[in-house]
Amino acid sequence: MTGLENGKPPLLDVRDLSVTFGAFAAVKNVSFTLQPGEILGIVGESGSGKSVTCRAVMRLLAAGASAQGSVALDGRDLLALGEDELCAIRGRDIGMIFQNPASHLDPLRRIGQQVAAPMIRHLGISKREGWQRAVRLLDDVGIREPEKRARSYPHEFSGGMKQRAMIAYAIGCQPKLLIADEPTTALDVTVQARILQLLKELNRKTGLAMILISHDLGVVADICSRVVVMRGGEVVEQGPIDEVINRPSHPYTKLLIDSQPGRRTYGTTATAGGSAPLLDIARLSVTFGAGRSLLGGIGGDHSFRALDGIDLTINAGETVGIVGESGSGKSTLARSIVRLNTPSGGTIRVDGQDVGTLAGDALTAFRRRVQMVFQNPYDSLNPRLTIAEAVAEPIWRHGLADRQTARKQADALLETVELPRSLRDRKPRQLSGGQCQRVGLARALALKPQLLIADEITSALDVTTQAQILELLVRLQRERALTLLYISHDLSVVSSLCQRVYVFKAGRIVEQGVASEVLTTPQNPYTQALVASLARLPTERTAPHSQSVSHHAT
Amino acid sequence: MPLLQLISRRLLQLIGVLAGISLVTFLLVHMAPGDPARLLAGERASAESIAAIRAQYGLDLPLWRQFLTYIANLVSGDIGLSLRFQRPVIQLIEQFMWPTLFLTGYVLCLAVPPTVALAILGARRPGGIGDQIIRLVGIAGLTIPVFWLGIMMSRFFGVSLGWFPVSGYGTGFTGHLHHLFLPAVSTAIWLVPVLTQSLRAALIEKTTADFVTAARAQGATERQIFWQTMLPNAVLPTLNLLGVMVAFMIGGAVIVETVYAVPGLGTLMVNALLGRDYYVVQGLTLVFAVSTVLITLAVDLLTAFIDPRVRF
Repeated sequence: MTGLENGKPPLLDVRDLSVTFGAFAAVKNVSFTLQPGEILGIVGESGSGKSVTCRAVMRLLAAGASAQGSVALDGRDLLALGEDELCAIRGRDIGMIFQNPASHLDPLRRIGQQVAAPMIRHLGISKREGWQRAVRLLDDVGIREPEKRARSYPHEFSGGMKQRAMIAYAIGCQPKLLIADEPTTALDVTVQARILQLLKELNRKTGLAMILISHDLGVVADICSRVVVMRGGEVVEQGPIDEVINRPSHPYTKLLIDSQPGRRTYGTTATAGGSAPLLDIARLSVTFGAGRSLLGGIGGDHSFRALDGIDLTINAGETVGIVGESGSGKSTLARSIVRLNTPSGGTIRVDGQDVGTLAGDALTAFRRRVQMVFQNPYDSLNPRLTIAEAVAEPIWRHGLADRQTARKQADALLETVELPRSLRDRKPRQLSGGQCQRVGLARALALKPQLLIADEITSALDVTTQAQILELLVRLQRERALTLLYISHDLSVVSSLCQRVYVFKAGRIVEQGVASEVLTTPQNPYTQALVASLARLPTERTAPHSQSVSHHAT
Repeated sequence: MPLLQLISRRLLQLIGVLAGISLVTFLLVHMAPGDPARLLAGERASAESIAAIRAQYGLDLPLWRQFLTYIANLVSGDIGLSLRFQRPVIQLIEQFMWPTLFLTGYVLCLAVPPTVALAILGARRPGGIGDQIIRLVGIAGLTIPVFWLGIMMSRFFGVSLGWFPVSGYGTGFTGHLHHLFLPAVSTAIWLVPVLTQSLRAALIEKTTADFVTAARAQGATERQIFWQTMLPNAVLPTLNLLGVMVAFMIGGAVIVETVYAVPGLGTLMVNALLGRDYYVVQGLTLVFAVSTVLITLAVDLLTAFIDPRVRF
């Protein structure tokens, strides 16, 4: 389309690509082009066919799939190539990086060997030469002490470092095209920002063309010049990024843009202030002991401090957010409040009662008052129960009603979370992630809690589903006068939903305050970095973002 | 170097395990019914001769002193005297050990290559015709009792056709190969299906592994992917199973050795048990336990060599 305008032949020309798994059409008549040196984004939710499209380009589809149409790289139709010719192109002309770098690296081989392997294979260089180039590549992608780290195994790398190694692995032979399939989804936001920066620099310095697949429109807007929006296996819209975002022509694109966290604020009801704090946490510490070896005890204290002197209060009716990256201790806090973790110091009080000393009936009563919703909607529901049974279970277990009445109440609760009646006899596996999370909410609400703890409840969901769940949460909060503790890694979600925010880092609170102020005028350097790494749509980019690649991965 | 650390740590642990083994084997004989002194002296011995034997063997000492003597003897390589052969047990074991070890090695050589081949064949198209046939034949091989198969094979190949000798160990390397062929085959026939199932399942699991997709995306050929990526990642569970099986074969070769009259440890064990040769039984128990421990150690070290994640 746009490719032919400037007269150059496109690097990649995908025409009428369809992929079917048996009778199911995963991709229907998809066409797009990619110019040399261009970064193209493909956006869509899970099941939209964006990953399948790119795997079809690489001919990496599972055995049961068949692809029709044409995929021309520099004029050669990839779909018509034999296995030998394909092997010569994969890794040589097209490199690919994946969503989960941890599972895509061979756990048994050294990083350096893995990075060197494609170069040895395609460029016919010696093993020693390959190793030296691998070390240089690792240096290029920002891995500190590359000579030493090349000798490491994948399990000795952090998530961000693994993705850098994957990038080195993919660009070693200087391919013409890099396909990045959700390259930052499994990473923390600050790490995500650095990886995106690295990809941008690669594009600028070497003219490497890229296809970036993402569910996150913010990420795509940050790095791509053109975007293809996919839904249900079809392309609904494509064009230059600014045009698509500022003047979306398809209703789905509009919905996608509107669902971006930070695009809207959910009018959470402000509290009648001055009331006594419902939850009061003082100097809370949680320590995890490291595993003891049989002969251990020599290496000194290996215990790990997950929370270190946390002070936090939540007033009745308030919505408070906790933000932090993985390992910052935010989930440990949630688990400590509901007594799944035992604090090593400090107190947690709910309505003045010390949670740690509760026992017997008082503990049961406390469990009714404080309920939690978990991150993974599938794992937190019993797979053998229908969803109506799952919601009814806490009601009769707490003796609030007999089983018959509990089932009726469960039906009402499912209605409250906007689940159709027809779904009530399904098992969790037969539901979508968003529907499952609604069940999780209904189950938590079954006991009419005062305090609801939501631990990353939308991070496994698509962005439009996330927006729906957040709206539901706000409605429930208003209707039921809930106090809400919302935990997330996503600062923009938290700040659009919550009145106050606590920012966690390495088990400590580094900043706290009114949500909008923390987002706009962060005081702590860490919060500033967090705000700067938010991948937001260009129209509302406020914070200056310039982080060079020399920020080494940790 | 984590690998060296692991080895030294495991060797340290080995000392504790060996101490435990020696205690158990010591107690085993002392907890066996009957008075060893009366056994030694015979049914009609007088009270004085029993007392004399008791004093001679140190059986009148307190248990802990007997144990210390036993340990001291163990350290110097003395694990007692066979009551029946009137020879040191260690000599007996040394004599009977080689046929068993040879047989075990022979079984391994016969079992491992077909295991790998059949597992690859089955995993290439799971549920396909080849896979089904391999599984059915495997189940048949597993369910046929070794003693029955042994007897049938020795009758057919040994007696009727006269291709292979039906008993003994033979002389020289080729003689051993010739004599032990039938015993080795009958053991391999149940070992191969067990190992094949394990390796096939692991291979199928790894065909869809993300790092295999990544290797494919880097242009590796299917051949390279299989030998360099899939097989090393899939082989570990089977390797551990194989270790257990080898230890089992050394200690459990009784049936095969009896059927084919191989003069190995299994035969020695049966004869010692029947003849109430307690010190030989004790010595064999010790040998079986120690060989199990050593094989487990070897497998663990091999695992650590292949998989860097277990090296600490």
